[in-house]
Amino acid sequence: MTTTTTNNNSADTDLLRRMRSGAADAFAALYRRHQGPLYRFALLRCGSADTAADVVQEAFMGLLTERFRFDPLRGQLQHFLFGVARNLILKHETAHRRHQALPGTDDDDDSDGPELAADDACPLVRLLDNEAAEEVRRALALLAPHYRDAVILYEMHELSYAEIADICQVDIGTVRSRLSRGRAALAKRLAGWRTTASAA
Amino acid sequence: MMDIRKTTDRDPLFDALRAELSRLETPRGVEAELLQAFARLHPPRRRRFHVPGPRGWLLAGGLSGLVAGALALAVALQAPRVEDTPQAHPLVALDESAPFIALDSAERIAAEPAPRMVAADVPRTSLAALGVPLTPENAGESVRAELLVAADGQPLALRLSAVE
Repeated sequence: MTTTTTNNNSADTDLLRRMRSGAADAFAALYRRHQGPLYRFALLRCGSADTAADVVQEAFMGLLTERFRFDPLRGQLQHFLFGVARNLILKHETAHRRHQALPGTDDDDDSDGPELAADDACPLVRLLDNEAAEEVRRALALLAPHYRDAVILYEMHELSYAEIADICQVDIGTVRSRLSRGRAALAKRLAGWRTTASAA
Repeated sequence: MMDIRKTTDRDPLFDALRAELSRLETPRGVEAELLQAFARLHPPRRRRFHVPGPRGWLLAGGLSGLVAGALALAVALQAPRVEDTPQAHPLVALDESAPFIALDSAERIAAEPAPRMVAADVPRTSLAALGVPLTPENAGESVRAELLVAADGQPLALRLSAVE
């Protein structure tokens, strides 16, 4: 795993260097390496395919224009991009909240209130064909954003607590706490669906 | 910071979602737009030598014509060189030390296709008409001369190499 990570970092660094010197193929390679996970993270995080695509585009555009400057000494490019995407989504949500009166939540609030993931569409609009997958996605979409971050990064992208802490700019204890509460809220939301699915 | 990754406690609840999402990619249009933006930010470098446009060719042609005209004018105004005239045949001026004395017309000498030089001892008495000093004491002597002779043996010009 460590060797693979080191090789990936080295390849990313080399591609970044070539990209900055004007090699379009290096930029394309970099994009193809990272767009998938980034898009999937953004899609689950915001619940809108359009917004997720915008976030991916803005993140890579920022990398291109050096609005978002990546330092290879401080970690992996993939994690850096997750952090950028998360910040872009937060910014997007903040702007969106100005137009919608949503109940506020504090950091450790385990509220089951409507923490809508989707900005321009209802999170319950079907995105996935598989029913089980779609139910989990909908349950995720209704989690509070700070729980959603931790759950998505841990369960879907298999990152460590430390990596999630780095991306979300919180300490590991907070990551552990958010993950635990997020999972509990998710289990609660899915309990009804599981019962129905079992009965069927 | 210690890495406390726990890959074994991933919730199987997410298996279906992972499988379903793994097929999803960013819409293709995003890559195309990013590559266009990249091309705008990194325009291709200009070649040092590039093919000029129509205006460039026009300018280059005009300048070349001016230079060629100026050269032609300079050549036309230059005085003709002596060697280029048929009267000044180079055979007459072969020896820088003494001039040839024409024994025939300049046209005849110039028209001769294969002249040759012949060294000969010529009697002084034959050269008196050419201004060679002649006294009773040297009247029997000969003078060393170079003769320009035509192909048929007819002498065309003469140069005295030693006159005492």
